[in-house]
Amino acid sequence: MTILIGYVPTPEGEAALEAGIAEAATHGDDVVIVNSGRRGATVDADLVDEPAGAELVARASAAGVDARVDRSLHGANVMDTFDALVESTGARLIVIGLRRRSPVGKALLGSDAQRILLDATVPVLAVKPAA
Amino acid sequence: MDVNAFLDGFGLVTEPQNLLYCLIGVLIGMLIGVLPGLGPAATIAILLPITYSIDPVSAIIMLAGIYYGAQYGGTITSVLLRLPGEASSVVTVFDGFALAKQGKAGTALGVAAIGSFVGATVSILGLTLVAPLIAGWALSFGDPEYAALALLGVLLVATIGNGNKLKAMIAAAVGLLLATVGRDSFSGAERFTFDSLQLTEGIDFVVVAMGLFGVGEILYNLEERHGKPHVPAAVANIWPSRKDLKQSSGAIGRGSVIGFVLGVLPGGGAVMSSLAAYAAEKRIAKRPERFGRGAIEGVAAPETANNAAATSSFIPLLTLGIPANASMAMLFGALLILGISPGPQLVEERPDLFWGVINSMYIGNLILLALSIPLVGIFVRILRVRPAILAPITALITILGVYTINNSTFDIFVMIVFGLIGYLMKKTGFEPGPMVLAFVLGSIVEDGFRRSMLIFDGDPTGFFTRPISGTILAAFVLVALWPAAKALLARRKTGSDDTSEPHVPAGHR
Amino acid sequence: MSDERTPSPDQDILAEIQAEVAQDLEEERPPSGGPSYQVVGALVALVVGVGGALLAYGYGLGTLRRPGAGMWPFVVCIAITLMSVGLLVAGRRLEDSERFSRSSLLPAIGLVTFIGLALLMPVIGFEIPALLLCVVWLRFLGGESWRSTAITSVVTVAVFYFLFLYGLRIPLPHLF
Repeated sequence: MTILIGYVPTPEGEAALEAGIAEAATHGDDVVIVNSGRRGATVDADLVDEPAGAELVARASAAGVDARVDRSLHGANVMDTFDALVESTGARLIVIGLRRRSPVGKALLGSDAQRILLDATVPVLAVKPAA
Repeated sequence: MDVNAFLDGFGLVTEPQNLLYCLIGVLIGMLIGVLPGLGPAATIAILLPITYSIDPVSAIIMLAGIYYGAQYGGTITSVLLRLPGEASSVVTVFDGFALAKQGKAGTALGVAAIGSFVGATVSILGLTLVAPLIAGWALSFGDPEYAALALLGVLLVATIGNGNKLKAMIAAAVGLLLATVGRDSFSGAERFTFDSLQLTEGIDFVVVAMGLFGVGEILYNLEERHGKPHVPAAVANIWPSRKDLKQSSGAIGRGSVIGFVLGVLPGGGAVMSSLAAYAAEKRIAKRPERFGRGAIEGVAAPETANNAAATSSFIPLLTLGIPANASMAMLFGALLILGISPGPQLVEERPDLFWGVINSMYIGNLILLALSIPLVGIFVRILRVRPAILAPITALITILGVYTINNSTFDIFVMIVFGLIGYLMKKTGFEPGPMVLAFVLGSIVEDGFRRSMLIFDGDPTGFFTRPISGTILAAFVLVALWPAAKALLARRKTGSDDTSEPHVPAGHR
Repeated sequence: MSDERTPSPDQDILAEIQAEVAQDLEEERPPSGGPSYQVVGALVALVVGVGGALLAYGYGLGTLRRPGAGMWPFVVCIAITLMSVGLLVAGRRLEDSERFSRSSLLPAIGLVTFIGLALLMPVIGFEIPALLLCVVWLRFLGGESWRSTAITSVVTVAVFYFLFLYGLRIPLPHLF
């Protein structure tokens, strides 16, 4: 089976990656590292470039896990990317990192994590970065 | 040179209000230089209505700041994202991005900022010394000279820019035609008004410019043309090392001179000079193969040159009243709005404005040098704001702005029509720039032509027998026929099998 | 234009760089429209030239000694006509146009909102039409989420309200 890991270059993303790889290693799953950018943005700080992506894949294979990076863009809702990937890979689990966000910030910007938790059709593993 | 007026100009610039507008101008300039989409000409066009509500000198200082500030901003995205924010920073991409990939983005930005500052300063010094001389010399110009000069200006802008020359010349000619709409100042006859009361006064330059540049570009940008989001390169250690500076000092020096000279020529401006400076560096380099792989000179030269050119392109505007490029045409229009007709008499009649604007550039460039490097991080952050969010804001500024000029909805509709024309022109490969420029210069050319015909007693050869106008017109003919002659020569050499015309694909903007 | 036949080293580098730049920019552009776009463009220019010349002739050419109101526009229109014919003949193969596609609908919708704002503003003030314009542009043209659409458009209109009416003291027609 496949595990989707929502990855962004932050401590939260790292935590998700670690947890996801560990999960995959114990159950013999392969991994899709989802690094999905917002369509229409000129610059997206959540993205990683090719070399950094290759490094992530290398880290997974060091743990004995087959991995690839998916860079499909998403529109207003990040679930579009995850839905499409769940569909195409038959993934059994989504791993994401949770960050602390103030109530105001969340009201203004919304929360990708919340959308995934509420709308995903497969189980979601939400992890927090080591404090 | 009138030293007192020069010093008074400094006094004027250092007034808090003018300093503030200078700061606002260069900040807006840097911002739009960073953001893909609107260029400086479009931005100045959109902000033209503001000149109605603030002090003339402050307004011009601010609008000028937008123009040269944009040259700084364009560098940042070229280096960090391989995405030229401005056309004049396109060549910077080659070596700038290569340096960024080697982890030397900071060095590239630092050298570019220093080069920009040096280039601009050299150019302002040149401007300070040369401009009054040219203005004094041009005082002897009569109507035939002005007609010829304006015509040459239109032609050079049309032929030197990007894209197909014939198309640009057609656009320019249509601009000349548009300038004739309204009541004829000689005979009082109404021309091309189609019995519309609003058109008898002619078409307002601001409305045309806001439509063709502003609305046209806004619509054009609406069409989804953005590629993938970029990953910004990390910026570390901005200050270039002594070795980097030493290596690029020659490039900065040559870039300043190339930029200054090309900036003065109509149609030259920042884009052309950055290309020329890059080419010059590559030509004299001992190891030209370094270029494109992260040669620091490849960043220093074009960035120095585009700022030098941006500055020196003020010379023809302030001394002859001939704008050298589209952005200068916007400033020309702004001056006309303020009831000031730029020309050789400007330095005598409005020394406050003349020296105020020139001296504001010393200050503006100091501000830019001080701000450009510390603000790099902020600008990259601003780039994260999606263009889709900024688009309705610019749209509203444009519509509400044009309305405020005369409190007239008719103006909005005229602007929309020209916006549509501008958009369609861009889609079919016609540049709106030459059209706006020709529109601005149209009445100068026509009035000059008609008064000259009176002077010459109906003999058009009079244009050629006067030394200055004759020389200018000879240059005109040379420039107009050069591409055709070259194509003909090329064809003759290769024979008749040459059916596919060689052409350079049009760049953007 | 690159002069391929006379290879002087000076020109080569500049031409090379220009071509490289043009190619770089070209990657970001949609496909070109082909000959029909060129022909239509040239024909429109031709119509402007001929129509303008006819009208200008009607205004009276006058004599060279005393040029009439129509003389200068007539000369310009003749130039437009000649150049358009030239373009029609020589420019069919140019690739500097851009094909209209589905996404060309976006500017069309944008244009309609411009017209709507211009029509509604004198009647009901600028606030509501401006808000509507923002909503259309953000949600439907820009693909923003409803949340970001609502926040951005309300804030934008509020800022414009205070900027124009209180900051710059420009009397825009307003409802509130």
